[in-house]
Amino acid sequence: MRVNDDGTVTIGMTDIAQSLAGPVLHAKAKKVGVVRKKGRPIATVESGKWVGPVKCPVSGEIVEVNEKLVSDAHLLNRSPYQEGWVIKMRPSNLDEDIEDLLTGEAAVEAYRAKIENDGVTCTHIEGSDEY
Amino acid sequence: MAKMALDLSQNKYSEVSFEEKEKLFEEAKSDGRWEHILNGCYECGICVAACPSARFYDFSPRVIAQAVAREDVDLVYTLMNDSIWDCSQCFSCDRCPRQNSPGQIITVLREVAVRNGLQTAKKALEGYGRIIYKIMSTGSQVSPDMLQPDAFPDWGKHVHEISANLEVWRKALPPETMHTIETGWNVDDKTIIELYLIWHMTGVMDLIEGIDEGLFMILVDVMEERLEEAGYDVAFD
Repeated sequence: MRVNDDGTVTIGMTDIAQSLAGPVLHAKAKKVGVVRKKGRPIATVESGKWVGPVKCPVSGEIVEVNEKLVSDAHLLNRSPYQEGWVIKMRPSNLDEDIEDLLTGEAAVEAYRAKIENDGVTCTHIEGSDEY
Repeated sequence: MAKMALDLSQNKYSEVSFEEKEKLFEEAKSDGRWEHILNGCYECGICVAACPSARFYDFSPRVIAQAVAREDVDLVYTLMNDSIWDCSQCFSCDRCPRQNSPGQIITVLREVAVRNGLQTAKKALEGYGRIIYKIMSTGSQVSPDMLQPDAFPDWGKHVHEISANLEVWRKALPPETMHTIETGWNVDDKTIIELYLIWHMTGVMDLIEGIDEGLFMILVDVMEERLEEAGYDVAFD
């Protein structure tokens, strides 16, 4: 999740999540206007061997859906942090919801530890030279 | 072919209390089918001879039938975790001269394992998430878009070419209902609504929730929306 300047948040999959899922075939997001509580699904992602939800880490209303994913779900694999975002949401309680989340360096460190512990190999993606 | 050896040492699951193991076994025995599928065993081995899984895995339907007949609670628990998922549920073992059905005993044991959220059951079913999602959300079991190189490498090198041009291949089929990619055929609205109501009324969704919460979430999402459109006020949570 990324907090944007206009107060919305952009939600998508992480590199580790798309790597584990494998080539994505379908990414079906909920419609604009749908209100979701934190932790609920905002999209269903299907790959050749896996299906699961993309959950929203904060509560809010969906204000934009990435239409490019409808015709090209592989974008999620090629560019999870930039072109392959899933939805934008106007959060209803961001300050409180974000307290439960790790941000910045702390998030990077926790993720690095998870990748090492789980033995996941992330596929290379644009915009990140970390992995 | 190298077989992975089944570890039947009695202390494999020693961290699980005998009472817990016994509770699961009693749950299996209280199933209405139990008295019809377990009689006695001659040890003739016909079930093993007929069993395709026994040829490829360290798996024996006779071991299952004997363990439950002897009421060996520890062994049944080990088998419930490490062996019953190797059965292909073909019921070739139903040719037992004593009318035992190791295959159906396994069906009951699997249901107990799923109902109780055993970690090994979750692991065994992990790879089936997309198939369960497909069946339960669309009413059609296998769809063309499941034919992907990473999921079915055993289909050979042509799987790449086929999966890249699915729409073209499907249009080559004469019946109109078959020009689908995400489902095996066009599924009637009435059929899918009835299926959703059956999943809801029979408690199947509770089983799914115990095994795969993510799968449960997305199924509920799909079903509640469609049922609401059809005029049903149904909540799965």
